[in-house]
Amino acid sequence: MNMIEFKNISKIYEDNTVALKNINLVIRKGEFLFLVGPSGSGKSTFIKLLIKEIDESNGNIYIAGRNVCNLKSSRIPQLRRNIGCVFQDYKLLPNKTVFENVALTLEVIGKPAYEIKIRVPQVLKLVGLYSKLNSYPYQLSAGEQQRVSIARAFVNRPPILLADEPTGNLDPGTAEGIMKILSRINLIGTTVLMATHDRNIVNSMRRRVVELEEGEIIRDQKRGVYGD
Amino acid sequence: MVRTRYFFSETFTSLKRNFFMGFTAITTVAITLFIVGFFAIIVYDIQGIMSSVKSQVELRVYLKDEISEELKEYIEQEIISWEETESVEYVSKDLALERFKKQMEGSDILKEIEGNPLPASFDITLNNPEKIDQVELRFYDKDGNFIEGVDDVIYERKVVKPLFSITAIIGTIAFLIIIALLLAAIVLIFNTIRLSIYARRKEIEVMKLVGATNWFVRIPFLFEGFFEGFAGSIISIILLYFIGNFLLIKGERAIVDIMRIKELAIVGSGNVMLYVYVGVLVLGGLIGILSSVIALRRYVKV
Repeated sequence: MNMIEFKNISKIYEDNTVALKNINLVIRKGEFLFLVGPSGSGKSTFIKLLIKEIDESNGNIYIAGRNVCNLKSSRIPQLRRNIGCVFQDYKLLPNKTVFENVALTLEVIGKPAYEIKIRVPQVLKLVGLYSKLNSYPYQLSAGEQQRVSIARAFVNRPPILLADEPTGNLDPGTAEGIMKILSRINLIGTTVLMATHDRNIVNSMRRRVVELEEGEIIRDQKRGVYGD
Repeated sequence: MVRTRYFFSETFTSLKRNFFMGFTAITTVAITLFIVGFFAIIVYDIQGIMSSVKSQVELRVYLKDEISEELKEYIEQEIISWEETESVEYVSKDLALERFKKQMEGSDILKEIEGNPLPASFDITLNNPEKIDQVELRFYDKDGNFIEGVDDVIYERKVVKPLFSITAIIGTIAFLIIIALLLAAIVLIFNTIRLSIYARRKEIEVMKLVGATNWFVRIPFLFEGFFEGFAGSIISIILLYFIGNFLLIKGERAIVDIMRIKELAIVGSGNVMLYVYVGVLVLGGLIGILSSVIALRRYVKV
């Protein structure tokens, strides 16, 4: 089953920068895919299009078989509930505890309190932060903060997880820990798409690699490496 | 409801975090609504004064003692037939004396009265006080003398005329001040909410990323605005109850003394204050919500 499908997708920003040029790509359910390429190659645009933070200029995007390009703006929240997002800067709320940060995803969906009380500790165990339930983000290390943000993205078990440079601010050892968690999430059946330019990680994981350069796909390789 | 719990705790947290800004907004609403309520009572009161003055506007037509029964009856029928006449009362010499005695009870002046020097009169109440000149003229003949049988015609011309124009002016000024103050309150709450949104812009971004609907993002801010408006109006009601009442009663006494008006619709009587309180409460809530809506429309693009 095709989880994500890009058909002839182009994105030209208002200042006429061409971010993506005629992209065609199919990502199957349960795949783990690295999106690699230098800064400005269109990786972030790719991810922003998927969560409808921006609109494409041309082409169609299908998620789980549904065309999301002509999605009404009132349907966008529904789409985002099915796509977990992890960012380089974590985007945690500093005045909320680890528990509250992760619970936010469930609050937004309107899950009842008892379910939140079960699900949040569950996912925190998955990322190995059960003991930090009541800590605030500033009390955590960078790696721990990123794990909280993964927990937040995954607590409602979305079929797709997007990670934009999740190891960008982390040292190699910590980054490895993050990758283990992402692999585990992928093993459960979640489609994971990770944008990165961390050569070591890509090379050690040996997953599908799609390389972007100036908005075009220049390489799509199964069990690939970062490239030259 | 799960969400209710979430929204309340969000609202409360936000209020705590922006305490001083919220405090400023609440104070502004309180002062604004206090003045609005104060003016509302004054305007209402003026209407009361107007109507009590209106009801007191009457012409008194003194009759000569030697007037014949027929002429007296003729004049009475005439008066009744006018469309401006609300009612007419014949006050005989005896009745006039009786009333005078009652009014002057305990005074030495009564001992000096011999016989009955008071004339009989027709007391005419008009349905439209502004027609008073017109009606008065009918008691004069072409040469400017009183018609036969009439000794004098009096009414409190001096009080009535300026009173009407003063009340109109006060009413207009009060209305303009109220509008200006309401605008000021809206701008302030709008600003508070705007800052509150700004302070929470990261949170809003994250909420949207995890799939929050627009309403989910908006509701805590609407609650916050509503709370600020509502709290302000409660304070203003307390102020009105203690300070407003006191000032108004003092002011009213002064008016009564100056104008020599017999009866007056007393401030705080009946449901007037209750109406003002309810009005202030509703207005406070509305100001709060309206300002939040404007701020949200401008600053939460979704």
